[in-house]
Amino acid sequence: MNGALAIARYTLVELSRRRILLVFFVIGALGILGLGVGLKILYSVVSSNNQGGFAPSNVDPAAFNRFIELAFVSYIFGALGIFGLLIAYGIGMTAIYHDLDSGAAVSIFSKPVSRVAFTSGKIAAALAALLVIMGVLAVEARLVMFLFGGGLENALTGAVLAVIGNTMVVMLLVLALSTWMNNIVAAIAAFIYYNVIAGVISFVHNLTDSGVIGSGIVRTIFDILYWLVPHQLVSSATGDLVRAQVAIQGERGTTAIAGVPPASTTGDVVWWAFVVCVLCGLLYYSVRRREV
Amino acid sequence: MAGVVSVDGLRKRYRSRDPWAVDGVTFALEPGQAFGLLGPNGAGKSTVVKIIAGLLRPDEGKVELFGSDPGNPAARKDLGFAPEDPDFPKFLRAAEVLDYFASLLGLDEQERKRRIPETLEFAGLDKERRQVRQFSKGMKQRLGIAQAILGRPKLLILDEPTADLDPLGRRDVRALIDQLKDSGVAVLLNSHLLSEVELVCDTVAIMAKGRVLKEGTMAEVVPQGKNLEDVFVELVEANAPPRDQLPSFITERNKS
Repeated sequence: MNGALAIARYTLVELSRRRILLVFFVIGALGILGLGVGLKILYSVVSSNNQGGFAPSNVDPAAFNRFIELAFVSYIFGALGIFGLLIAYGIGMTAIYHDLDSGAAVSIFSKPVSRVAFTSGKIAAALAALLVIMGVLAVEARLVMFLFGGGLENALTGAVLAVIGNTMVVMLLVLALSTWMNNIVAAIAAFIYYNVIAGVISFVHNLTDSGVIGSGIVRTIFDILYWLVPHQLVSSATGDLVRAQVAIQGERGTTAIAGVPPASTTGDVVWWAFVVCVLCGLLYYSVRRREV
Repeated sequence: MAGVVSVDGLRKRYRSRDPWAVDGVTFALEPGQAFGLLGPNGAGKSTVVKIIAGLLRPDEGKVELFGSDPGNPAARKDLGFAPEDPDFPKFLRAAEVLDYFASLLGLDEQERKRRIPETLEFAGLDKERRQVRQFSKGMKQRLGIAQAILGRPKLLILDEPTADLDPLGRRDVRALIDQLKDSGVAVLLNSHLLSEVELVCDTVAIMAKGRVLKEGTMAEVVPQGKNLEDVFVELVEANAPPRDQLPSFITERNKS
């Protein structure tokens, strides 16, 4: 077994024994289950009220049930994104930082293992942990979706892939930053950069793209800024769900469509791959420069 | 035979505005030699051994480990390093830590199965099933020495190896050093325990403020009628500003 594999293997063993990841996973699993069961109960109450004559006169009961189902799937996507981020922060804050902080890195780096092998092993372990946890949560979400019938499997798959792509970027960013600074500070810095700065830039860029903001200067500025920050991947399912809900609501929901980010294009996916490569390189550079 | 370690004009400081932590240190280590690096706290001993182990980069001077740059992983193949205050991945058990490090050393499964139980037994950790986070400092120190000898090194660096060990543990470490020296392994011992250094080392260097004050064989450094502690105290005090023996609030109570 070469160095990178040994590092990946024992980092995974360590991650599997860390309570913080277990807690995040349990919260995620219970959250998705609670969301599904809660909405199912709401769905049942509304259905029974409809039968008792409480249905809004202008809404078809079948369409209303479909609306609840779509709402559930939208919430599930949102929940997966949030729990995915929590898990990415949990892995990113611990996978390398604790070796450096505890002094374990002193013994590890004195062995005949290169910093490339160390970085590769850590990235492989972190990705494997992220994929396993997100995979289990996605399977749970799929099972919970059976409560509402079926037919939205592809939407879930697309959304899960987008969530995994986004959480990978956050995790790599936190891993790289935590090699240079305290892991809590690294997590806060990553949150501000990725979720606030990049998020605001992408949001304003979407508004200029959809014509809500008409200023040419603002459009030019945010076109440039947009290609300087990581792009959150968005599956087409998000927009499809909102459009389906709006179609059920009729005129009342049309304003919601403008705020929905468009599905990622091939350019966004290529940019995401580039950002992942840059972050892996940054992480390697941080590990290589690190004295222990 | 090629030298094990060669340090020539080594200088290192942690920040540009700091004084030199290591300032012009030069020495060499040959196979089968036990070299003691002595000095008060902050003398720069740990910095020197960390540079030899490839953990820190020198600012000036040249360091070679088995003829190569210590930053090159291949140069560290025959190095065993037991750091001061050793720590390990906290959620692993002792056997897992050794398996992890044996894998990093490139030992195959058969060799790992042979060496790990014996090493654990030597370290007195063979019956220990708890995770490292539940270990005492002494147990971590034992594990630190265990992982350092696991690869059957040609150079063993021991940085304050007995600081947290009980008398039996210290005796075991002395026996280990003697055994390794006899088999041609070079040992670099960094310790405050001068009596221990006197027992096991052939050559010593006394450092203070990053500089080597005196270096040579034990006979050269310690004149007849004196011991290593006398020489150490004389040298270090001659190179340090005078300081009060006790805080005034202690002496005040003695007077009253």
